[in-house]
Amino acid sequence: MKLPKFEYAAPESLGQACRLLESRGEEAHPIAGGTDLLMALKNRQKFPKMLVDLGAVPNLSRIEYSDADGLRIGAMVSLRRLAANPIVREKYPILVQAALSVGTVQLQAMGTVGGNLCQDTCCMYFNRSAMVRQSLEPCHKLGGCICHVVSSSEECWAAYTGDLAPALLALGASVSMAGPGGEQRLPLQELFSGDGKRPIALRPGQLLAEIQVPAAPPRSGAVYLKLRQRETLDYPLLGVAVHLTLERGENGHCKTAALAMTAVDKAPILLQEAGKLAGRKLTEAQIRELARAAYKRAHPMKNLYGLTTKYRLSMVEVYVEMAVRQALESAIH
Amino acid sequence: MDKTVRININRESYELELEPNQTLLDLLREQLGMTGTKKGCEIGACGACTVIIDGEPALSCMTLALRCRGKEVITIEGMAENGRLHPLQEMAIEHGAVQCGYCTPGWLLSAKVLLDNNPSPTLDEVRSAISGNICRCTGYQKIEESILAAAGRSLPAPAPEGESSPRV
Repeated sequence: MKLPKFEYAAPESLGQACRLLESRGEEAHPIAGGTDLLMALKNRQKFPKMLVDLGAVPNLSRIEYSDADGLRIGAMVSLRRLAANPIVREKYPILVQAALSVGTVQLQAMGTVGGNLCQDTCCMYFNRSAMVRQSLEPCHKLGGCICHVVSSSEECWAAYTGDLAPALLALGASVSMAGPGGEQRLPLQELFSGDGKRPIALRPGQLLAEIQVPAAPPRSGAVYLKLRQRETLDYPLLGVAVHLTLERGENGHCKTAALAMTAVDKAPILLQEAGKLAGRKLTEAQIRELARAAYKRAHPMKNLYGLTTKYRLSMVEVYVEMAVRQALESAIH
Repeated sequence: MDKTVRININRESYELELEPNQTLLDLLREQLGMTGTKKGCEIGACGACTVIIDGEPALSCMTLALRCRGKEVITIEGMAENGRLHPLQEMAIEHGAVQCGYCTPGWLLSAKVLLDNNPSPTLDEVRSAISGNICRCTGYQKIEESILAAAGRSLPAPAPEGESSPRV
């Protein structure tokens, strides 16, 4: 399976990379770990004329932590390095869980934090091999005007299936984007457009440079649970991340609560209802209520291989309840 | 851009003329004749093409050869040093951890990365380290045994009562 021909550039600064990407517009595509991108090129799903390699851009591979500023992760840090970092292991075990649930060991070593966040949406029609796809009309994502998931729909219903996004959303992460207009810092959820066809809200010339995670407060616990068929390689068919912080004292009052999901919509979901738990005691009834809210918000479609849509939907409440209990347990201890 | 790239492969420096769309797998197999690295799925799923780049496991089918500029690549051809097989290779032979042999170079290199970082792994750690290497003969148990045996051998103190290979 040969890669198509393309030009290759390896700029040596972030500014250079952004200018190059801006000047070439839609023709150019950045390459970080390359594990998803090269597959899309081999499968003839993307057709860039130029790849802009971010491997030579300095300062994108740093992991820094301070109690004041929290964690700062360069976009080119590999998932394996993130998971092996002593500070991350100690203070953000949820990121270790999420990073080590991606693909395989090799893909974790090659894939980057930035690339994982900015991954394209998945769909069992769009992601078929070029040969198998020939039997189908091109879908919205391939420039056609049909969706094979919802045949009457005028939009693309591919699913966002990143593993790091829900974990980072639950932790309240923000991102820095570099671009022609300078650097811009935004809440992580604004990176996701909600458009299955073009899921990442970066303009040509804009690059994700850094991810910031607030300092881990005391008495907090965070957990990522991933539903999939095999314990390796698979993308999530449902992913649930929960982050809880408890008030001081024994009464178990919740100070902050966040819940995020993946693989059940066109973008990762940060569930607003979780915020209602703040200041309240976390009872069984409230855990069930949160699980119900997540169930109502989740919208799995028949766009991923593996388990049925019905099963994935029925697992939402189960996974939310499990994740909340585990997060609570780790916040207490 | 200068297309001449220097890459260290198996402790030897190569100066190569590369095309942007050439994968490391193609470079190794087609240009350098190192066919020990296997071409499996070619979409990054099976692990047959695993090599080590700067100490980390990598899929050569998903790596642009140009991106290996200045890096150190170890393939299965470089696993034996000074004419001596790596303990992992010796144990693979001793435990019969090879059936059709197609996945063997890949998992050996994945296991080498594991042992380089963690000389005495648990069975779970072994399983996790080779979870990106698919064996369709499904001979996983002997693979696991042979990796554990190789780890046992590299422990500083000999095992008690002459046991040289720990049982699973």
